[in-house]
Amino acid sequence: MNNDETRNLDSEAGTASVVDMHDAVKREKTLLMAGNAAAGISVLVVSAVILFVAGGQLFSNANGFSSSIYKSDFYSPEARPPLGGEEEVGADVAWIEDWMSDGKKVYNNCVACHQPSGTGAPGQFPPLKGSEWVDGGTERLGAIMLKGITGPFTVAGQSYNQQMPAWNALNDEKIAQVLTYIRREFGSLAEGEDGIVTTEMMKAAREQYADKAGFWDEASLKAISADANLPGAKVDLITGKPLGEEEAAPEGAEAP
Amino acid sequence: MTVQQPTAEDMQERAIIDRSARFPVMFFFTSAAAWLFVGTLLGLFSSLKLSQPGLGDSFGIFGYGRIYPAHTIAMVYGWAMQAGIGVLIWLMARLTRNPVRRGLAILVAGHVWNAAVAVSIICVIIAKGRSIPWLDFPGWLWPLFAFSYALMVIWVIPMFHSRKGGPVYISEKFIVGAVIWFPWIFLTANFLIGAETAPVLSAGVDAWYISNLITFWMAPLTLAVAYYIVPKIAGRPLYSYTLASISFWVLAVLAGWTGFSRYMGGPFPSWMPAISGACSILLLLAIIAAVANIGVTLKGCSKVWELSPSLRFTVFGVLMLAVYALLAAASSTFLIGGPLQFTPFSAGLDTLAVYGFFSMSLFGAIYFIVPRITGAEWPSGRRIRRHFWFSAYGIISLIVLMLVGGIAHGGGMAVWNRPFSTLFSISTAYSTGLCVVWAMISFSNFWFMHQLGMMFIGKGRKSGGPTLIHGEPGAAVGAKEAAGITS
Repeated sequence: MNNDETRNLDSEAGTASVVDMHDAVKREKTLLMAGNAAAGISVLVVSAVILFVAGGQLFSNANGFSSSIYKSDFYSPEARPPLGGEEEVGADVAWIEDWMSDGKKVYNNCVACHQPSGTGAPGQFPPLKGSEWVDGGTERLGAIMLKGITGPFTVAGQSYNQQMPAWNALNDEKIAQVLTYIRREFGSLAEGEDGIVTTEMMKAAREQYADKAGFWDEASLKAISADANLPGAKVDLITGKPLGEEEAAPEGAEAP
Repeated sequence: MTVQQPTAEDMQERAIIDRSARFPVMFFFTSAAAWLFVGTLLGLFSSLKLSQPGLGDSFGIFGYGRIYPAHTIAMVYGWAMQAGIGVLIWLMARLTRNPVRRGLAILVAGHVWNAAVAVSIICVIIAKGRSIPWLDFPGWLWPLFAFSYALMVIWVIPMFHSRKGGPVYISEKFIVGAVIWFPWIFLTANFLIGAETAPVLSAGVDAWYISNLITFWMAPLTLAVAYYIVPKIAGRPLYSYTLASISFWVLAVLAGWTGFSRYMGGPFPSWMPAISGACSILLLLAIIAAVANIGVTLKGCSKVWELSPSLRFTVFGVLMLAVYALLAAASSTFLIGGPLQFTPFSAGLDTLAVYGFFSMSLFGAIYFIVPRITGAEWPSGRRIRRHFWFSAYGIISLIVLMLVGGIAHGGGMAVWNRPFSTLFSISTAYSTGLCVVWAMISFSNFWFMHQLGMMFIGKGRKSGGPTLIHGEPGAAVGAKEAAGITS
């Protein structure tokens, strides 16, 4: 084909003569209008199957087009076993949960007076819930546990005249557990306070008050500052190990 | 059926229309092909990141979360939208027998669109996108897309109004549909997501948008191309206008309902995924009608299908449309879709739509259109062959991989106490295979871009006779023309 003639097509001017036209246009066939055959029976059958499946999908899942039902009957994911797996329950539980459940066991000694819910009995036994003694520092609580207390004293604006015996027969760990329990369960702790009392703290308290004779009364107890805490390191809630300490490498742990 | 010979006036009219369409259409084709190549390279890189996550770790811009969205933007807005617009402008001009007017406005809008795509990709790469699949570009950019889109395609409507000769051809319906549906879904999705409604709703709207961009833009254009190219090249009338019309109306009525089934079992009232799943299944009616129609029309034309690049790409695209529709319908039921949710399957399904059926049929149309508007023949049949086979093998491997990877990944996710990271080692075969797929597709598109570039700069073959897939260019022209092959 003559190049100049082909170029003419590209120019904007004029009408193209048949000679000017490119091969592709010349050899092109006419687009015939479509035939009008009816759809075959096979198409109808396949369509019926599709309609059936689509209807099944719609009406088995639509839940009556309710705007508040989110779950489909067809889709019910298997109930998941509790975290950690069935056989492994307890293996991965955080230290604090163990500590609290042990504390709850120790608290069985206390429920007769203070009640399982920590409300006490009005006029007779003081409550732990809402008590400024529980909410405050740990030193007063540790002191009461070791030596007992005798009335009259005021708790949450009400006066009580009773005697609480010393619980020094319990070991340091058990006292620490029950104090942690009542503080975390019934107390309203200050911001950032985790409420934990450790064995180490109770050991320190026992040494501190070893020479104290007789019960505490309100006046002598108030000599201890309300927010004084027993000495001892804070611990990690998950591991129960003191915070700020490098975890000791288990050197030779595998040796027999 | 006899092949009707066109008259001299017909030919002259076509030549005038083709010439009027040359600059806008070639502009869209070449820029789309360039974005496609960029998109496939980004696809290759993002799949490398899946199998070698440490790749280029020291640079934030190489993160998978940036490369993958950039890849989808290049593929969807760079390639799919522009190629679609180029093809529909030419098809509409030819079918309504109107020359393309306002070429300059279309070109200017086309440049704006390309600038918007480039800015989108840059924004995504520098982490200024909004992380919404297929709408990853920053929120302030969508009016620009909407505006330039309007300027590019609005001229199709007056063209359709002043159509000459005969009843409306089925392809015209699909084109007018696609032209109107795209702004509807694009504006709806952007308004609803931009209005900062509940995040859950945004996710649902986004799934709806993705699904509808496929069923309301890619599928109609694929069918418009197929209903045009197949009868044209085979030289036969389409088997049944009734069936074609049914496929159009089924698509028009039902496609807008799809999408929410992507989140079935999610926090939506259960009728929403249920109805959209049902509509995905019902869309099979349209697709089966179309495939049956085209299949019957082509009966006994295997010779043409072997030789003509346009026909081969288009028919492959229609077959992939059927595969896509089947997989989309199957995965919108709880039975099959449940285990495949949130796996490589859904990303693979989107890729199958963009590259599998839409791109392949559009390639067919482009192979048909470009020789007419540039007045030259494709330089090499061998490169077209390479383009076809590497693309075809790439897509078929992708389908296998997304099923295998999806089932493996979904099966792994169903085991509740399996650490999430091990899922990626389960689907290693998938991610490695994906690299090969994208390498093949990049390679094939390099040749497509190369060929199109040659045509663009006027280096096409000037001799007569179409470029066929087999045989040397121009050889035995007479014999092949006698066999009824036109391109």
